[in-house]
Amino acid sequence: MQRRSRTIPTARREAALAYTLLAPALLLFLAFTVAPLIFGVYISLHNWKLGPRQFIGLTNYVKALGLESELWPALRTTLSYTLLSVPLQIGLALVLAWLVFQRIRGKAFFRVALFLPWVTSTVATAAVWARLYSPDIGIFNAILKSIGQPTSQWLLEDRGIFTLAAGALGVALPEWAGGPSMALASVVVYTTWVFVGYSMTLFLAGLGNIPSELYEAARIDGATGPQMFRFITWPLLSPTTYFVVTVTVIGTLKAFNHIWVMTQGTAGTQTAAILVYRQFYEFQRAGYASALAVILSLVILLVTILQNRLAGERVNYS
Amino acid sequence: MNHKLILASLIAGMLAAPIASAPAHAAALQRTPAQAQTLTAGDVDKIVLDKANPTEITFLNRYSGGQITAVLEIVNDFNKTNPYGINVKLERVDGGYDDLYNKINAGLQGGKVPNIAQAYQNQASFYRGAANAVVDLTPFIQSKKYGLKAAEVADYYPIFLESDKNPQFPGEVLGWPTSRSIAMLYSNLDWLKKLGAKAPPATLKDFEALACKATDSANGKYGYIWRGDASDYAAFVFANGGSIMKADASAYDFNSPAAVEALAMLQRLFKNGCAVQLPSAERNGEQARFAAQNVLFVTASSTGLPYYASTITKAPAKFEWTMSMFPQANPAKPKVNLYGASWSVFAGTPEQELASWLFLKHFTEPKNIAAWAKASNYIAVRKSAAPIAIKDVNANLGKTFPNAAAGYAKLYDMAKYGAVEAPVAGYDPVRKIIQDLVVEVAVKGQGDPKAALDAAVVKANEILKENAPQ
Repeated sequence: MQRRSRTIPTARREAALAYTLLAPALLLFLAFTVAPLIFGVYISLHNWKLGPRQFIGLTNYVKALGLESELWPALRTTLSYTLLSVPLQIGLALVLAWLVFQRIRGKAFFRVALFLPWVTSTVATAAVWARLYSPDIGIFNAILKSIGQPTSQWLLEDRGIFTLAAGALGVALPEWAGGPSMALASVVVYTTWVFVGYSMTLFLAGLGNIPSELYEAARIDGATGPQMFRFITWPLLSPTTYFVVTVTVIGTLKAFNHIWVMTQGTAGTQTAAILVYRQFYEFQRAGYASALAVILSLVILLVTILQNRLAGERVNYS
Repeated sequence: MNHKLILASLIAGMLAAPIASAPAHAAALQRTPAQAQTLTAGDVDKIVLDKANPTEITFLNRYSGGQITAVLEIVNDFNKTNPYGINVKLERVDGGYDDLYNKINAGLQGGKVPNIAQAYQNQASFYRGAANAVVDLTPFIQSKKYGLKAAEVADYYPIFLESDKNPQFPGEVLGWPTSRSIAMLYSNLDWLKKLGAKAPPATLKDFEALACKATDSANGKYGYIWRGDASDYAAFVFANGGSIMKADASAYDFNSPAAVEALAMLQRLFKNGCAVQLPSAERNGEQARFAAQNVLFVTASSTGLPYYASTITKAPAKFEWTMSMFPQANPAKPKVNLYGASWSVFAGTPEQELASWLFLKHFTEPKNIAAWAKASNYIAVRKSAAPIAIKDVNANLGKTFPNAAAGYAKLYDMAKYGAVEAPVAGYDPVRKIIQDLVVEVAVKGQGDPKAALDAAVVKANEILKENAPQ
């Protein structure tokens, strides 16, 4: 009994200390993340205007999920953006990480150079890239012209990349097979340039955590480079890969800033986040925009859960 | 106490606070029309502003560079000299009119608004209709003690005063005209000479023909550049004799034959390769391309004049250019797009509202409005200030670009042909619809102009209904 009575106050004291230490972060999290989220749901249930606000239940959700809703094409664009961006970004980041992990000259320079776009202002770099993409005065078309190739409309081109590719071969594709617009693909190239350095840095950290003894032992056993990558690097890098994929997928699903700067959502680049912004600020439909935002959050949550189920079990933490 | 209970209490407390406070904010803005706009000219006469008890007011704006300097000078002068103890404080928003609009809307949601702010007519209408936040200036203008005398009212160009009246709020003045511009045609005169034209085109037919004659797309030369601005499309509609909205503001009508022809002409320009689209991210790219002599014509605001002059001055090859009246379908019956943000007064205490009005009145006194026109290149809104403004522009540009300076002087004659796009709440999203539509139908050449405009007008009228005054 005596022992128990001593234990309980100790546990309480520890708990009190834990809550005290947690309180600042918890309060900030509640104030700036949880509370706005709940408030957003509250707004989404109203016809939220400057004047009298009316509770309308799920009307905004019904409208957002209706067959004629702009949400569906926006989600399709978002998904295309994710499916194009994530493999490209992660594949390239892994290769680059592998390369700059080797004992090569100028390793530090390459690491910094590749990481630099990520720490530079997105708005500034997006504006510069938009200028590079300009059909008339941009450098990309100037290069294409100089080598006698046809130019592109880049960020102004709303035709799908498959349609354009097939068109170049003289084949006409049906509309549904057109693929993401050239404008969206151009944005993806920019996104890859910006974020590949960040993913690469994470992969570098992962590579650094793999014990070198494993490679030495494999070499003694006669393993080739690809075999070492297949059986040592890839499995032991899986926690990092899992984290990078999760963060990148979430990031692409809610991408907004650079797309807005480069295209303002035109030419087949209206993602769900841009649709939310336009409905909120341009149309002043705060209730409807909040409903769209809630739905987008749920989609991101669903994708993350699915990802966790599908990939989480394959992660090797040992 | 149970740990879960502590955590739950914390969360509940945090969540309850903003939700509980929301209706309070909403209530502060929910003034019924019966409660607002109740002052009469007689009531205004009775308001006393005591110098011993200063009245501070804020003016939210998005001016920068020479414009904010000019505003500041007038504000400082007013703060020093007014006998009422009024102190005007400037608050700036970095960015465009959209950013200013968003800031005011956020302020209205949170119950904190400025006393004066720049607002386009449709935005003022939104503030008035949705939240009763903007006050009618009529009683202040008519006040015997603080208002304007008949001779002073007559000194304002009537079209500028008219442009702040709104059919949705009959008899009310929701803004004061400090800044007005006209959609103009900027032309490269040297290039026109090479094409055999002595002057900028007066008709739309000549405009189209010259634009196509000038184009050499292989070398990046185009007749016309589409900036993606709905006001340019509206200017083409007006030039064809049409309108964007019915005069009583009951419905949009930019699917009239005149509007269809405007869109069809733009479609032809692109179809024939005579026009080029400016990417949205290429800020002021039309000026750069005009200065580089890569486009023959640009349609843009008259206020852009000094910016064009500055860009052309820096260009490697100099050339003669001017801005002139928008080409018309029927030059005998011209109609030009007149626009410009006004300054609106937001609901506050009667003293604050009066102080705001007195500042507006001071700002638009002839000497101030002339100084403002000089700094901003807006049209001077008072007749007595016009000669000073013309002289100033001539002094600045007359030597280097005499044709451009002459173009400015003609603005005052053409203002009487001005038409306003749509002074109603919800016009901003309609502008986006128009911009998207022009890209789709004209630039991309997809679809029939009439069918596309019919569909767009249906959408626009839904937005009009959604934003109708409550």
